[in-house]
Parts: sequence; C-alpha cells; structure tokens
Amino acid sequence: MEPSYRIVPPSQIKTASISDTAGSLGLHDTLRYGIRSIATQTRGGEFENRITKWEETQDNARLNMLANLYGPSAPMRLLMERQIVSTSPHMPGMPQSNIHLDILMGRDETLDPTDFFLGMESGPPLSVHNEMEKKLRL
Amino acid sequence: MSQQSAFSSPGFDFSNSVRNNFLQEKGMPLPKATSTGTTIVGCLFKDGIILGADTRATEGEIIADKNCEKIHYITESIRCCGAGTAADTEFTTATISSNMELHSLSTGRKPRVVTVMTMLKQYLFQYQGHIGAALVLGGVDSTGPHLFTIHPHGSTDKLPYVTMGSGSLAAMAVFESSWKPNMERSDALALVSAAVSAGIFNDLGSGSNVDACIITATQTEMLRNFVKPNERVEKERHYTFRRGTTAWKSENIRDLIVNEDITLVGATGDAMDTS
Repeated sequence: MEPSYRIVPPSQIKTASISDTAGSLGLHDTLRYGIRSIATQTRGGEFENRITKWEETQDNARLNMLANLYGPSAPMRLLMERQIVSTSPHMPGMPQSNIHLDILMGRDETLDPTDFFLGMESGPPLSVHNEMEKKLRL
Repeated sequence: MSQQSAFSSPGFDFSNSVRNNFLQEKGMPLPKATSTGTTIVGCLFKDGIILGADTRATEGEIIADKNCEKIHYITESIRCCGAGTAADTEFTTATISSNMELHSLSTGRKPRVVTVMTMLKQYLFQYQGHIGAALVLGGVDSTGPHLFTIHPHGSTDKLPYVTMGSGSLAAMAVFESSWKPNMERSDALALVSAAVSAGIFNDLGSGSNVDACIITATQTEMLRNFVKPNERVEKERHYTFRRGTTAWKSENIRDLIVNEDITLVGATGDAMDTS
C-alpha cells in the first residue's frame, strides 16, 4: 500500500526489453512483431498501464484515507482478509471463481466485461506442468 | 496454495500492441468501425422528457444500416440515445442497463437517472475517450425528469434541451429558435421531429427515419419510425420480361427418379406406442 492519494494511475517510465518480443530462441521475433525498433516498443503503453492499474490505484487511495481516519490497523485488516480469501486450493489451469473475494472487493453486484469475455480465447492449459510449477513457485 | 490478484483484470489483451504499432508506422490503416454519424436530441417538456434520434448507421462512406435503433433501453423509465461508434454505444448502454437492474434490486428503490449518469461517466473516463460513445441520457425518476449529455471522455452536462452527433448543430438551431419551458406533449414532439429532420436533411451522417421516445412519470412510449421522410418511391416502369420473349427450339424433360420400389416397414400395421 503506497502512501498516495492518486485516483488515476501515474504514467510509467517507458522501457523496452528483449523479453517483451523474444521468441523461442531468445531473440527478437521479427515474424510476430515486425522489425525491431525501440521507438515502436516504447510507444503506446500508457493506455494499457492506465486500465490495468485503475482498480489498484483507486483502492490504494481509499485505503490511505481509511488509515488516516481510523489508524493503520483498518487497511491492514482489510488486506489480511483479502489475502486469506485469495488462497485457492484448486488447479491453476482451470477457470476459477472466487465469490468471497468478489464480495470483499465490492463487485458481487456488478457486471464487468471481464466477467463474461475473458477465457474465450484460451482453452485447457497447454502444459499442466508449467502451471503447477508457477503455482508452487518451484 | 496459490494467490490470485485481488483486482479484476481489464479484460483487454494487449499482446498485439507492439505489432500493431509497427504496422501503423509503416502506413497500414486501422480497420474502420461502424459509426452512427447521427443526430440525437432530447428535450424537457411539461410532463417529462422526449428523446429523438435518426436511424442511419455509416461505415466510412457506405450506409451500413438504413434503419438502426439508437434509443437504447436502460431501465423502464430511463432511456439513452447513443452517437459515435455503434458497438461502443450498444455495449456500454447494455452493460450499464444490467448494472442498474442489479443496483435497483439491491437498493430496493426505483433507479435514478443520476446513478446511470455517474456509472457512465466513470466508465468512460477510465477509458480515456477510446470508447467512442457520445450519449444523451434522459429519464424520469422519483426526483423528477432529468436530461444529461455524456461525452466520450467522461464529461457531462445537465440541460433542458440537448443535441449530439454530427447533425447536432442543425438540430440545435431548431431547438434554439423554438424551445420554450413547459411545452405541451404535441408541441414538444413536433419540435423534436423538426430538430431530427433538420439533422437528417442537412447532414450526410444522419438520414432515414425519425425515432422518438416519450418518457413521463407514469409511462414510457417508444415511437419507432415515427416520421418516415425518406421512403423509397415505387419505380415508374416495370423491368420484367414477358413470358415468350426468348424463342426456344426443343424441350427435354428428364425425371430424376428412374425406378422406385416402395417397401412398407412395420407392415403389421402397429401404431406408435404412446402409452
């Protein structure tokens, strides 16, 4: 939880790394991304950053205000509850839904495009081993 | 035990953005979205709100839909006209309509127009104008009739008469000359038709018919294709050829069934067992 009251995510410092566009050989994958150009890679990340970090930034501002009103224990309790509820015993490859987390985050009575659009493009996981490795952090 | 992020993901996949940037720099044009062009209007009258819209959807220079519906349902007594990218207006209004239904079930009260306006403006502000939806929102709730405009970047205005879209200037000219407070229903409906017709006849992006929606405290009346100033006339001449125009020399009829043997199955005559 950062000590910030921003409601809109700040613009990030632009970086371009080979890992963004690396193919299976570890080099820039020209077939998928075009001829390598640092200018092209650094362009256009502001909008993506804005909508990816939107909820997090607003939530952070709310938690900071709670801390000012009620003391640091108030946001600490909320974060602890979220963490307890987020641990999932299920296989990571399968589609998961966490209604307890939705209720705590206040989105149990709203519909987002995410709720019905995501998951259409990916089918069953390509490699169960990779998913399990990521989950158990081996 | 694995940890999920507590926040929902934005629902967009940005993995193609580097490739798209590269293609755009090399001069490949982005695909064109269907736009509504449009004239949408709303005005306050004695008993409530009247919303009006034209019915043409364009895709560049081509008309994609000659009779599309631009007045979208939000709740029973709240409607929203949409200008801009057709998919954006339809999807945004449908999402907000669902959320409003859930919200009114949760609060147990009739939905309010300001709630819809707030949901729309927060959603559009988050997407920084990339969602091309310019909306005219109007409805009657427990606090009275309200009329708002919402621009694609998230700014809103509350006014007694509003117009949006490419034909907004033509329609606003009509409103500015004739709108009065506390008009009767028939006068207000005539004014709205005149405003949308001004957009239809003076703007290339608007055309076809006029839709209207009258919202009062007791009922909502949707007048689809209320005025049809652009009906296609019947052609003056007939271009069909009379039978016998072309001479023919010989006729050969071949039956596709060469030989047919019919065998009855279940020939004992049992009827279907429907017990």
